[in-house]
Amino acid sequence: MKCYEIVSRYGLSDAICLNDRLALIRAKDVVEASEKLLSLGPRYSTCIGIDYRPINRSYLVHHVLALDKDGLYIVLETQTHDPEPVVKSITNIYPAANWHEREVMDMLGIKFDGHPEPYRLILPDDWPDNVYPLRKDYPYDKKPLELTEVLEHPEPRFYAASVGGDTDASRAEIPLGPYHPALHEPEYYELIIEGERIVEARYRGFFVHRGMEKLAESRLTVNQVPFLAERICGICGYTHATAYCQAVEEAAGIKVPARAEYIRSILLEIERLHSHLLWFGVAFHILGFDTGFMATWRLREKIMDLAELLTGNRKTYGLNLVGGVRRDIDEAKAHAVEEALGFIEEKFKKLIEKIIGMSEIIARMKNIGILTREDAKKLGAVGPHARASGMDIDVRRDHPYAAYKYVDVKVPVMDGCDVLSRILVRYEETIESIRLIRVFLQEMPKGGLMAEYNDIPELRIGIGATEAPRGEDIHYVMTGRENKIYRWRPRAPSYMNLATVPLMLVGEKLANAPIIIASIDPCFSCTDHVVVIDRSSGRRIPLEKALRWN
Amino acid sequence: MVASRLAFIKEVFRPPVTEQYPYKPLAVPEDFRGKPVIDPEKCVGCGACVNACPPGALSLHDDGDYRVLRLFLGRCIFCGRCQDVCPVGAVRLTRKFELASTSRDDLVQEVRLILEKCGLCGRPIATRREVALVEEKLPPEQRWLVHVCPECRALVSARVIGYVRGCSR
Repeated sequence: MKCYEIVSRYGLSDAICLNDRLALIRAKDVVEASEKLLSLGPRYSTCIGIDYRPINRSYLVHHVLALDKDGLYIVLETQTHDPEPVVKSITNIYPAANWHEREVMDMLGIKFDGHPEPYRLILPDDWPDNVYPLRKDYPYDKKPLELTEVLEHPEPRFYAASVGGDTDASRAEIPLGPYHPALHEPEYYELIIEGERIVEARYRGFFVHRGMEKLAESRLTVNQVPFLAERICGICGYTHATAYCQAVEEAAGIKVPARAEYIRSILLEIERLHSHLLWFGVAFHILGFDTGFMATWRLREKIMDLAELLTGNRKTYGLNLVGGVRRDIDEAKAHAVEEALGFIEEKFKKLIEKIIGMSEIIARMKNIGILTREDAKKLGAVGPHARASGMDIDVRRDHPYAAYKYVDVKVPVMDGCDVLSRILVRYEETIESIRLIRVFLQEMPKGGLMAEYNDIPELRIGIGATEAPRGEDIHYVMTGRENKIYRWRPRAPSYMNLATVPLMLVGEKLANAPIIIASIDPCFSCTDHVVVIDRSSGRRIPLEKALRWN
Repeated sequence: MVASRLAFIKEVFRPPVTEQYPYKPLAVPEDFRGKPVIDPEKCVGCGACVNACPPGALSLHDDGDYRVLRLFLGRCIFCGRCQDVCPVGAVRLTRKFELASTSRDDLVQEVRLILEKCGLCGRPIATRREVALVEEKLPPEQRWLVHVCPECRALVSARVIGYVRGCSR
C-alpha cells in the first residue's frame, strides 16, 4: 500500500495507515512529534477539536498536515482526559495553526498551552465566557441567556514598522468595510495610513458564523449534509459538497462509480470557470474598468446556463450524495457543453489578451500587493494565490480525487508574487479548465451513478480535499451512530489566504487596497463559520468601538 | 473606411445582450428544479419525503381523523430529494420559479389523508392509503394484520401462539 511505503520511507514508526492517502499519528508529545515532521516540509492544513467525552471521556485535537509531494495527509492526534482540557500549542512551529487553534479554544474550550495569542477569534464579543457551543452537551437550538459586557478596546500595538513620519499626528485611520470591502460580504479592515501609504493593516472577520457544524452534527443525517455543505459558499458551493461526500466515502470505504467521478469533475471545473470569470469581473470593476467587468460577466452567464442545463440550477447544483451523483449527463447535454465551451474559450482569450495589453491596467497590478514565497508558505496560503507566489501546489494533482486520478492536470505557477501574477495564474487555470472539461466529456465511461452501501460505520475518520477555485478546501468527517455525523469541520481556502492580506497591504498606497484584498479572491462567508482579529495585538476589538474611532 | 463605418453602425443598433426578463418570459431548461408539487391523489402519507428533506420544508402531523403532509416553500431549497425518494411518484418538481407572493399561505401546500384506526384499540396506525398499499403485498390470510396497530398485533399474536401451544391464558 502506498501509505505504508511513504510512512516507512520517512521512518514514521508510530504512524497508523487508515487508507492510501491518510495516516494517523497518536502523539504522546505533540510538540516533539510535529518538530520531527517539520523536516518533511509539510503544509499545515487544518485543526479539528472533538468533544470525545460521550465515547471515552476525553477531548481530541486533530492537526492535519499535508505532504503535497507524496499525496499524503497526516492526522496528528492529541488527547486529554482532563475535564479542563489543555493541550500543547504548535503555533510556534506552524504559524498557520494560529487561527485554527484559537477557533478550537472558542468553540470547544480546549486551551492551547504556549499559544502566542490566546484570544477570542470566532465567538462574538458579548458571548459569555465558559460557554462552548461545539461541545456535545450544548444543545444546537440553545441561545445563551446572558450576554456579557463587551471588552474595552486594548491599546493598539503596531505590528508593522512604520517608515518615516512616526508621530501619531501624521497617521490617519481608514476603516474599510465592514459591509463592502471588496465583495458584498461583511468583513472589516482597518488601515493606518501616513499620507497615501498604508503603514499598518488589521483584519477582523468572522461576522457571519452560521453554526453549520453544530446543525450537521445534531440534526441532519449523512445524506442531508451535502445540501448544507453546498450552502457554505455562494460561489464555490459544489466543491464543498464534493469534499464532504469524499470525506464520508473515505471514512466508510465507499467506492464511487467512475462515471459519477467524471460527472463530479466536470461540474467542479464548470464551477471553477464561473468563479474565475466572476473574479475577473470583480477585479476589473475594482480597478475602475467596468467594460471588462461587463464583458467577463456576459461570458460567465453562458457558464451559468450550462450549470442550469446539467444540474437544474444555476448555482446550487445539489447533485451530490454520499456514494455518487444524482443526475447523468446525456449525449445532447454533452454536445451543448462542447458547443458553449468553444464560444467561451474564443471570446475569453480575445478579451483577456486585449486587457493584458492595456498598460494602464498592468500598471495598477504589477508589483502591487507583494506576498513572498516564504510568507506564503509560512502562513499556509493555498490555491491560485499561493501559485502566484511560486508555491507549486494543487490538490487536483497532489492529492488526486474524483476523475483527476485519470488525467494529467497542468498547474500554472508564477513567481511574480503580485496582483498581476494572480490574474495570469487564474487566466491559465481558466484555459486549463476548459481543456479538462473536454477531456472528461470524451473519456467519461458508461456505468452507474451511485454506489450501493448499507449503514455508515461509526467513529471512522475521513478527509475530503478538493481544489476549490480559491485553493485547497478540506473537510474532516468523523462518522457517528445511526447514519449521522459525529464531527464535521469544513475549512475553506480563504481561511488560509485571508491571513496573508494584512502583510500584502502594508507599504502600499491606499488606492491599491481594494484590488489587493480582492486579489486573493476572498470568500468571507466560507471562512466564517464569525468575530475579531487584531493582527497587531491579537486581541479582539469590539466593532462599535472600532467604528467610533476617529 | 466604409467597412468600419458599417461595423460601427451595426454595433450601435445591436440589441442589448441582457435578457428582457420580466417583460418577456424566461425560458428554463427541461430538467430545471422548480417548485415541488404533491399530487394529493397519489400521496399515501408515508413520510419518506419528510425524512429525506434537508431543510425540513416537509412535515407530517395528525389532525383528528386526518394525517396532514405539509409543504412550506419558504423553507424549500428545490433539491428534489422528495421526488427521488417518493415510493409512489406523488411528488414532482415543476419548472415554476416565480414564487414571490404577498401571502404566506400561497407558499403552503397541505395534503390531508384519512387515518386508519386500529380495529381493536382505536389508535391511529397509518393513512388508509398506506395501509392499503401494504395490504396488497401480503398473502390473503395475513391481510387482517395491517388493520391492527403494532401493540395490539403483538398481543393478538401472543394469544394465538399461546392457544396453539395449549397455555391457559
